[in-house]
Amino acid sequence: MLMVENLVKKYGKFKAVDGLSFEIEQGHIYGFVGPNGAGKTTTMKIIAGLLRPTSGRVVVSGTDLSRDPREVKKKIGYMPDFFGVYDDLRVDEYMNFYAGVYGIPRQEREKITNPLLELVDLTDKKEAYVDSLSRGMKQRLCLARSMIHNPDVLILDEPASGLDPRARIEMKEILKELKDMGKTILISSHILPELAEVCTSIGIIEQGKMVVSGTVEEILRKASRKKTLRVKVLGDMEPAVKYLQEQPSLTGVAAGSDYIDADFDGDGAVLAGILKGMVAGGIPVVSFAELEGSLESIFMHITGGGEGNAV
Amino acid sequence: MRFNPIIEKELKIKMRSWKAPALITVYLVFLGLIIFLNFLGTRLLSPYDYGQFGPSTALNSYNILAVFQLLLVVFITPAMTGSAVSGERERQTLDLLLCTNLSTHSVIIGKIFVSIAYIMLLITASLPILGTVFFYGGIRITDILLLFAFYIVTALALGSIGIFYSTLFKKSSVAMVMSYLTVLFLLFGTVIVYGIWVRIFMRYSTTPVTLAQTMAFMFPNPLYGFGSLTEGMSYNIPFFGDIFRFGFSMYGGSQYAASAPVILGITLKPWMANIGFDIFVSILLILISAYRIKPVKGLWRKKRVKSGELKVESEKTV
Ligand SMILES: Nc1ncnc2c1ncn2[C@@H]1O[C@H](COP(=O)(O)OP(=O)(O)OP(=O)(O)O)[C@@H](O)[C@H]1O
Ligand SMILES: [Mg+2]
Repeated sequence: MLMVENLVKKYGKFKAVDGLSFEIEQGHIYGFVGPNGAGKTTTMKIIAGLLRPTSGRVVVSGTDLSRDPREVKKKIGYMPDFFGVYDDLRVDEYMNFYAGVYGIPRQEREKITNPLLELVDLTDKKEAYVDSLSRGMKQRLCLARSMIHNPDVLILDEPASGLDPRARIEMKEILKELKDMGKTILISSHILPELAEVCTSIGIIEQGKMVVSGTVEEILRKASRKKTLRVKVLGDMEPAVKYLQEQPSLTGVAAGSDYIDADFDGDGAVLAGILKGMVAGGIPVVSFAELEGSLESIFMHITGGGEGNAV
Repeated sequence: MRFNPIIEKELKIKMRSWKAPALITVYLVFLGLIIFLNFLGTRLLSPYDYGQFGPSTALNSYNILAVFQLLLVVFITPAMTGSAVSGERERQTLDLLLCTNLSTHSVIIGKIFVSIAYIMLLITASLPILGTVFFYGGIRITDILLLFAFYIVTALALGSIGIFYSTLFKKSSVAMVMSYLTVLFLLFGTVIVYGIWVRIFMRYSTTPVTLAQTMAFMFPNPLYGFGSLTEGMSYNIPFFGDIFRFGFSMYGGSQYAASAPVILGITLKPWMANIGFDIFVSILLILISAYRIKPVKGLWRKKRVKSGELKVESEKTV
């Protein structure tokens, strides 16, 4: 349905997108995750026809974007990360305007916009001026706007950013409905767990490159294979860190504020051995536990830390 | 052809707010005041002086109105289009338009049309005032139509200049300042350039310098075209045509040679040249502006896909 192949976008020498490839099948939701500046917005703008890639290919249900951009734009609905509204329009007029932009005849506009407003739960705000809407409402309005020409593919750039938890849940519900409608969706976020709930597949991107890509199950499986050990000791952590670093089955030993984390490969027996060694070495172990493998932790691991829950 | 949605939307917004009727009212009151002052000047309203209201007073009023409305066109159009595109960019609504399949030409033309329409509304609203003058005779309906056509073309050209700057600069304020500087150049800069040109021409020319040889520099000047618009009509707006002639002689040109060139049997009047220039510039700037805001220009060339396998596989699934 949507295929991106070897996409490259250079700004001077800097590669904002560096050979990105992925594919989304019809009716699937593909979560695009990455830290700030990873190249998510750049990729999405290219797909939406707003930015010219340096090289690469974008194909939307059989049509090559570089060959027939106007045809592709008909099939794509795009919701940017930052957007404005014409504040002196009413909600229904706002929708009518974009319907007109897509060439929908006047008498058919209501028939199209009403169900969309219903979908995003703005029916009772129809006559309100757009600038009187809350941020969450504006975001939902923009989502409804992006679907006005009934596109097959939706490109949603952080649709949940800046929303409170309740509005996030509402947005998630809308996404599920869209999925049921058979829309193919590319959605970006900083927050991996949030995406995991709605997405069928996930791609983690960093510095313009795809780091991990696969179905949510695959990625969760990878997450559970990757285990993290967290140790807490009483008093001086120095000897414990030193001891853990000497263990062959442990990598990436790092001291936190009052704990030490390490990645480990192996089974319970290996862990038991390490614990035994520590106790025998006179290190006052307070807690010794395996952390749950979570999407968040792989994300942090892959992207080398950062603000996991910033939006 | 479908109706341009931008025109529909913006006119709706503009006409709905209280500003439009308020502006029209203020404008008409202002025009009325000017006419009133003009009458005062003729002592028509003085109880001691039996001045006469006749065609000359009426014509005078008409001229004043005509000049005033030209100034309106010249100084308001750039303000209306100067922020048209940059304003959308600043408001972050431009991308929402560009990701649709609406052509960038429609966006640009819609924006220009709206600003012209607004000014034309003001001018049309003043028609009744012009009409009162009309009844005293001295002007033909064709004069008024020509005047209107001249306003529209001038607004089109200045609107195109405004919108061009608005696509060139990210900030509306910069675009606006540049538009006004350009308008000032058209009004006064051309006169200076023209003067310099006449001087240079005179130095190297062995025959007397004629208007026809040098007037091209004044073609872009709306005041120049406007001044000539009234030439040969039953009335005359003395100011602009004369100031130009005065300038010409002052710069050293020969008064006697001040005849316009004849092309294909038609005497090329400055207003014709001016309108021609305006239309040319408008078309050019509209095309450039539409091209400038196009996010992806032309079709980008497909680079060879490195792995042939990947390509085959992906094409299968599309
Ligand atoms: N016009 C531009 N000129 C130069 N560099 C740019 C331009 N636009 C984006 N970049 C760079 O491209 C990189 C990718 O930016 P992009 O906006 O795609 O990231 P992102 O993944 O969307 O980040 P965020 O999570 O903050 O939205 C950034 O390093 C950014 O600085
Ligand atoms: Mg972004």
